[in-house]
Parts: sequence; structure tokens; C-alpha cells
Amino acid sequence: MRVPFEWLKEFVDISATPEEVADTLTMIGLEVEAIESVMGDPVLVVNVTPNRPDCLSILGIAREVSAAFTIPLKIPPYEIKGETPLSDFSIEILNPELCNRYTGRLIKDVTISESPEWIKRRLEKCGIRAINNVVDITNYMLLEFGHPLHAFDADTLKNKKIKVAIAGKNNSIVTLDGVERNLPRDALLIWDNVSPIAIAGIMGGSETEVVYTTKDIFLESAYFEPFSIRRTSKKSSLISESSYRFERGTDIEFLENALNRAALMIKEIAGGTLYEIIDAYPVKYVSNPVEIRYEKINRILGTNLSPAEIREIMRRLGISTEDKEDVFIVYPPAHRRDIQTDSDVSEEVARIYGYNKIPARNPRSPLSSGQLNKKIMNVHSVREAMRKEGFTEIINYSFMSPTSLDTIEIPENDRRRNTIAIKNPLRQEESLLRTTLTPALIENFTYNLDRGIKDIRVFEISKAFENIQRELPLEELRLGGLLYSDKTPSLWRDDVHGFFITKGALESVFGELRINEYSFVPCSEPFLHKGQSSDIYVSGSHIGYLGILAPGVVERLNLKKQKPEVVLFDLNLDLLLALIPDSIKFVQIPRYPCVERDIALVVDENIAASEIKKIIRTFPSELIEEVTIFDFYKGKNIQKGKKSIAFNIIYRSKSRTLTDDEIADIHDSLVNYVIEKTGGEMRK
Amino acid sequence: MDDIFSLKKLFLEESQSVTSISELQQLRIRYLGKKGLVTSKLKTLSSISPELRPEFGKAVNEVKSFIDDDLKKIEDRLKEEEHKKRILSETIDITLPGKFVSFGREHPINKVLYEIVNIFLSMGFEVEEGPEVELDYYNFEALNIPKDHPARDMQDTFYISDDVILRTHTSPVQIRVMEKRNPPLKVIAPGKVYRCDADISHTPMFHQVEGFMVDTDIAFSDLKGVLELFIHSFFSVETPVRFRPSYFPFTEPSAEIDIGCNFCSGKGCRVCKNTGWLEILGAGMIHPKVFEMVGYDTELYTGFAFGMGVERLTMLKYSIDDIRLFFENDIRFLRQF
Repeated sequence: MRVPFEWLKEFVDISATPEEVADTLTMIGLEVEAIESVMGDPVLVVNVTPNRPDCLSILGIAREVSAAFTIPLKIPPYEIKGETPLSDFSIEILNPELCNRYTGRLIKDVTISESPEWIKRRLEKCGIRAINNVVDITNYMLLEFGHPLHAFDADTLKNKKIKVAIAGKNNSIVTLDGVERNLPRDALLIWDNVSPIAIAGIMGGSETEVVYTTKDIFLESAYFEPFSIRRTSKKSSLISESSYRFERGTDIEFLENALNRAALMIKEIAGGTLYEIIDAYPVKYVSNPVEIRYEKINRILGTNLSPAEIREIMRRLGISTEDKEDVFIVYPPAHRRDIQTDSDVSEEVARIYGYNKIPARNPRSPLSSGQLNKKIMNVHSVREAMRKEGFTEIINYSFMSPTSLDTIEIPENDRRRNTIAIKNPLRQEESLLRTTLTPALIENFTYNLDRGIKDIRVFEISKAFENIQRELPLEELRLGGLLYSDKTPSLWRDDVHGFFITKGALESVFGELRINEYSFVPCSEPFLHKGQSSDIYVSGSHIGYLGILAPGVVERLNLKKQKPEVVLFDLNLDLLLALIPDSIKFVQIPRYPCVERDIALVVDENIAASEIKKIIRTFPSELIEEVTIFDFYKGKNIQKGKKSIAFNIIYRSKSRTLTDDEIADIHDSLVNYVIEKTGGEMRK
Repeated sequence: MDDIFSLKKLFLEESQSVTSISELQQLRIRYLGKKGLVTSKLKTLSSISPELRPEFGKAVNEVKSFIDDDLKKIEDRLKEEEHKKRILSETIDITLPGKFVSFGREHPINKVLYEIVNIFLSMGFEVEEGPEVELDYYNFEALNIPKDHPARDMQDTFYISDDVILRTHTSPVQIRVMEKRNPPLKVIAPGKVYRCDADISHTPMFHQVEGFMVDTDIAFSDLKGVLELFIHSFFSVETPVRFRPSYFPFTEPSAEIDIGCNFCSGKGCRVCKNTGWLEILGAGMIHPKVFEMVGYDTELYTGFAFGMGVERLTMLKYSIDDIRLFFENDIRFLRQF
């Protein structure tokens, strides 16, 4: 709402500066966003919240200023004195539930012309274009009293009849803006005896428009049901200054004053004869008194206001009250339909008393231990572990493109194809909720690579959304990430394959979560390198993948960089967290020393290291405590098709110190056992 | 007896030329070994007349311990020389950079989000979460925003169907928690929210922290106390705070909370649109209609709720001027936090 300061001053005799008024309005809930200067006059730009349609006018703002500064309100004259002739127009309301009141006046023999300068200036300050004197006066009243009016060319109304009824089937109208509009069935319309002449409360029709040749006009001032106006305005994508006010709620009692003041102004400016008001008022306004205990107000606010103070605030707001000892009754005026409960009254009291005068205190609620639930704490541990492994956290939008899954060749029957679509996306590329973090990770890679970043290690913890044919989708927390490192020479040589760096990071995460039972097995993800990717299982459950992006997929990314090695992973974090062992159990520190022995084997290169380790583990001896791989080699001195792999074995007994001789025997038979089972040989 | 002294003299002469531990070892054997010069002298003790024996024995032993001491001194000196040599040969260029694991960084949004959460945890709040794809009922209707209500214009909504949407705020968690549990409640609910809007200050996805407290005796004063404490610990104790009336359908009285602009110290600048104040929080007393929706006794219970945008607080904290930076995931941006 734009409020020219000089116009406001006609309503309240205020000596404060525009800045002071702006500040005060802001502090009572009418935020002044700016003070603009239009044609040398200050105009306050007020942000009026949807609950205060009464403030969408100069009068409304003036009422607030009057309450805040305790100065009287002056309302310009709106009473029509003397007798006026009866007109032969009639009003019929067929949907009184949508139109509680409809008033009108016939004005004959007006002279349509340009408005006087002072009207045009005020409209312009408020951002409304001048059209002609009659139309301008209706708009002037919309701004001044906050009630939208409409003027019809009376001679175009068939049978001198105004009807208010919904559209029904197949009706259309050409509105003032020249657009032919098909009307929703439930749209409330104004009709003459034959056809629609206006979309009620939203926009008039062009056939009945007041133009320079118009002689007689029919002036409308009505109350339309807010929900109905909003529904029609939304359905027909038509918003006007009128509809904006009607859908928020107008003053059903005051509307005749707006009609009368407009009529007086028209008579003065455009001449003509005023006819008697026609008032169809089928659903009378009933004020709903609110009974409140004074104590309740203080309880809600934490204040200690006396009954007199509270009633004085109401009086300043122009709201009448009745005192009944412990309680008082508030009679909200018709322009304050937002006041319905004791909470609403408390807000009125608080904002005029001043929010900043209400004391701040510490809640007298029982003590409680604030703590994160286990899941959030575990998620936090995962983030910290990833971070310590050198991965930086990223956050992507929850959206994906319909083509994303094709790009990474996800099969049709994969659960990642169970997508959810957004009906009104901002862009087609963001029209699905993502079912996997992978496409966004690939985008993060190309984005950073294009910007010359040589080391990209990122991870994300976000939800994926799967359509499971229920009311709401399955929301699954996932941990995804990416590693890319340009193979430029570096000071301290570190030529570990990216797969193993990333695998190590994930193993750190597992370790942090005390998860020991996991395995990496060859993977079938279509977008990964067949020879350098793995599915990850934890305690027998498939939780995701880790692998190098397949050469074919990389090629399609059209990168400048040749054959970049990109490691990706995407895990079901919800499932992983569910597999965390219940609690940490203390195990005695070993009492006796261990004996260490190594085995270096040369085996067929197709035998997985984990297989050999498993074989060692099956060797029937209780003394083997730990088996670790400490060396791996392929190449010179090793026959083609073979690899050398070395294990360190730790032997320990719980009850005694082992002797070298005893271990020598066991170790020899272990070596023979492994050679036999793997078909390999000892490395020479 | 002269023999003994000449032995000492001989040792002193010979020990001069020792330059290594192995030479020193040779010298030790020559004098103190089983067949060494000093040892052999001792063996002659029996051939000496008994009255001279004590004196002779004493003299030999003195020489022996002298040589022993001297050998030790030489050994120490040699070892020290050897260490010096070794240290010299092993010297590294300590000005070369170290090899370190460069930790990854937290995303600034999550960093600030955890900071906010921690402040409320310290006040005894607990954390609850809710779905990001939400029923219209929880996001709007139960929060006193019926269909066809103008307040729906305050938030541009992404629709999945007529009844299912992407939550536009974290407030539905309020309803979900109150449906399940009874007061007293002290809860915060952080998470992602979505609005159909994109420009320099809006992204279609962003983060909020919702909070609420319900009990038998909670007043607007408590809301002020809790939020002032929060603001003073998140920014600084000197940060000016003001509460002004506003409107949210699910709170009454409602408030918006401003802090003194930290860019211009309240003098007025572009960031605060010359007002000297920056809006950072929305809050209010939970609307009785909301309590009715979850079946709470509105005469018995009162409560407050508040909500804040994490992006906005992060932008203020680090003077970031474009919200889109948070989701472009440029490593050079993310490494700064």
C-alpha cells in the first residue's frame, strides 16, 4: 500500500515527520519498506500483511496512526443530505452466501471527461493510471476508504436490472482489458437481465464500460465473500486492486459510505443527478463479541497491565469494549474481522503497548537435557570422518532432470526409476525429485573441472526420494561423493589409485561407526568401469557402490581433459546407520606377547586378495589373531598373469607365551595350506 | 715401578692417534685385554716381594683406572664427533612444505546450522525432523492456512499433487511432534524447505530452523528471552535486537525480529535498505487454532514458535551477497569455510 503523506495528513493532524511516522507504523506491525519521493511529496510504501485488509487504504493507515499517536481521526464527508429521487433499477442476489450485500446508485447526466489534476496526482502517487473522471473517482475511493467500487454505463444494462449469481456452464465475458475469458462454473458474476457484465469483485466487462460518451452511470458498492473471489482470481489468473482487497475482506458496514462519498465527488466533478441508494443486504453483519479475562492477556504476554490500560488501548484503536470486573467484552468493528479470539486481542494490546516494552524473561519450564538424537549424532560422525579424509561437504538441490537417469544408463526396472514429478517446476531440468545423488555429483565434477580445479574431493549427505505408491514418497538419507585428482607431479609422491583412497575413506567412516563387517564385491552399475568398481555390503546388506566412472560415460561429458579418473560412491546412509552395533563392548588387552610371521605368495592374478585372506582365516588354528595384506606387486620379475601378494600373520595365545618352535610348525602348515588352496607358490 | 709409569706415558702417546671407535677398541684390548699390558703387569704381582706388593698393586690399579677413564673420555668424544658427522650428513631442508592431509570443509550452511542447533541444545531443546515431501494438511491446513487463504501467497509452493507438496517451511514438524507428544515440549526442527522462486536472493531449496516451546505457563516474554539469548550468542552480546508485530497464520501475537545492521552499525546502508535493521527471525505465540488441530487444551497450554532462514544468517555472518553460491558447489567457495 502506497500512502502519500499529504493525503494521510487530511485524516490525522500530525506534526511528526514522515520518517517518524514510518518508524512508528513499522513498530506497530505496518512495516514501512521505503519512503519514496513522488512529485516532491513523500510516499510511504507500507507492507500490509494479509490479516489486515483494513489497512489497504488511507483511512485504514490513518486509524493506526491515530491509535499510535493518540490523535483524533478526521473522516472526509460522505453523507448525502436531502432527498434523492428513486430509480427504477433493481438488484437481485441469487447467491447471497457469496454476496452478503450489494448497494448501488444511479447517477444521471454526468459529463465524462478528464479528472482534475489533484485527483490524477494522488492516483499517480499510488501507482494507478488515470482514465476518466468517473473511473478515477472509483479508484480514488478504493485508495481512500479501501472499498473497491465499480461504475457501469447504465444505458447498456438491459431491463435496468442487476443480478448477482455464479457463472454456471459455458459462460464467457470480455473484460475491460479486452480479453475474452471463459469463466469457471463457480465464479461469481454480476449480470444484467441477460448476460454477464462483470466478474464480481475482480474486473468489469468491456460492454458496460464507462467511456466518454456515457451519460448515466450505475455505481456499485458490494461485499463479496473472500474465498470465492480468491478462487476465481486464481483460476482465471486475474488479479486486480479490487480482487486483492475483496479476497482479504472488506468492510460490509462502511461500504455504503464509500458509495455515497464517491457519488458526492462525481456530482461535484462530473455533474449529474444522484438517485436514491438501492441496498440489497440479505446476510446482515453480526459482530462476534470476544469475552476475555484480563489475566489471560497478561498470561499470554507476560505483562502486568491493568484493566484500565488494556481498555484504553482498545479505545485508541476505536474498538468498543464492555467491562465486567475480571473479564471484558470486545466488540470488533466490521473492518476488523481478524479479531476473533483472546490471542487476537492480546496482539492488539501488545502492538500498541509496544513489543519492545514487554519484558524478556527466561522460561519457567522444567529443566531438560538438550541433546541430539542418536541418528543425528551418527550422521555428524560420518560428516566428520569424511572431512578428516579430505572430502569437502557439498549440498545439491533435491531435483534432477528427466534425462539424468538415461545419461547414466539406469535400467528401466531399477528402483531409481520410481521417480516423483513436480507439477510446477521452475525448469524442466529440475522437474523430478532425485532418486540418487549420482547425477548431481557428476555435474559437480564437470563444473569444477571446467574451472581448472585439479583436486576435487567432495561428499554430500542428502535425501533421495522414491515413489513407493503411497501418499508420501520414501525419503532415504544417502551419502554420496566424488574424488578426482589430476595426476600432476607433486612434491611428496603419492600415487595411490583413487579407488583405494576413496575406499579407505569409506572404511574410515565404517570404522568411526564401529562397523566391522563389510565387503566390497564386483559391481554391476552400468555407469561404472567394470574392472574398477564394487558393490558394498555391510552385514550382508547391499548399501551402495564405489567405483570409477565408465570410460563411455566420461566420453559423453565432452571434457577438455583426456581420460580423467573419476571415483564415485553413493550409499544408503539410513541402512548403514541401522547396521551400527548397539554398543561398544570392552575387550581385555592381550596379556601375552604375539609372534609375527609373513607369507609372500605368487598366485593367479584373478584370485582376489580378499579370497586369499578368507582362506587364511579358514586355517584351523585358534592362534591366528590378525591377517593383514602388506604388499602387492605385479610386473617385473613376476610371471605374466600372476601377482605377488604378501600377508602378515599375528599369532597369539590367550593363556601363554608362544614359542618360536611351536609357531614355526603352525606357520609351515599354514603356508602349505594356502599354497594348496590357491594353487600358488611361495615368492622366491 | 718405573715400568708402570712408562706404561702410562706409552698409553697417553698412543691414545693421541686414535680416530675411531674400532681403533679405540684395539687400544683397550692392548692395555686392558686379558693379555693386555696392564693386565700382564698385574699378573707379575706374585713375583714381587711381599713388602712391596701393596704399593705395586696400588700403582698398577691406579694406572688401570686412569686408562679406563681415559678410554671412556675418548669414546665419548669419538661418539660425539660421529653424531656430529651423521647429523651433518642427514640435514634436511626444513623449509620444504610438510606433507599433510588437507581436511575437507563443512558446507557453510551446515556449519551455521549446527551452530544454531548447538545454541538451542545448550538451552535444553531437542531436535526433531520431518519429511521434506509433505502433505498439504501439515504444511498449511493444520497451521491455520486453509485452501483459498491469501496467506498462501506468502509462499510459492511446489506441488506434487493437490494434496502433496514440497514443504515450504519447517513448521509442519511442529504439528507432527505435537500430534505424537504432550507438553512440556522444547523442540527445534532444522531442515530443507522449498519454494518456487529463484533469483539473487532466492533459491528453490533452502534451509530453515524451526523451534517451539509449549508448556502451561509460556508467555511472549519467554519468547523474547529465548530469542534474545539466541541472538546474543549467535552474533554478539552487543547486537541490538528489536521485536515488531507481524503476521503468520499459525501464531498470534506474531513478531518479526530484527538485529542492528552489522554492515553499517545501524547507520543505514544498502544491505539494510537504509533502515539500520536486518530482519532475521519470524516468531509468535502458537495460535490457539493450531493447538485445537492437535487436540491440546488451549486454556491449559500456551507456547511460542519461531523460524529462521539458515542461508540468510550465513550470508550475514560471512558477508556473502549471492545466495546461489551455496548450491553451485564451487570448491574455491567451499574451501573458505
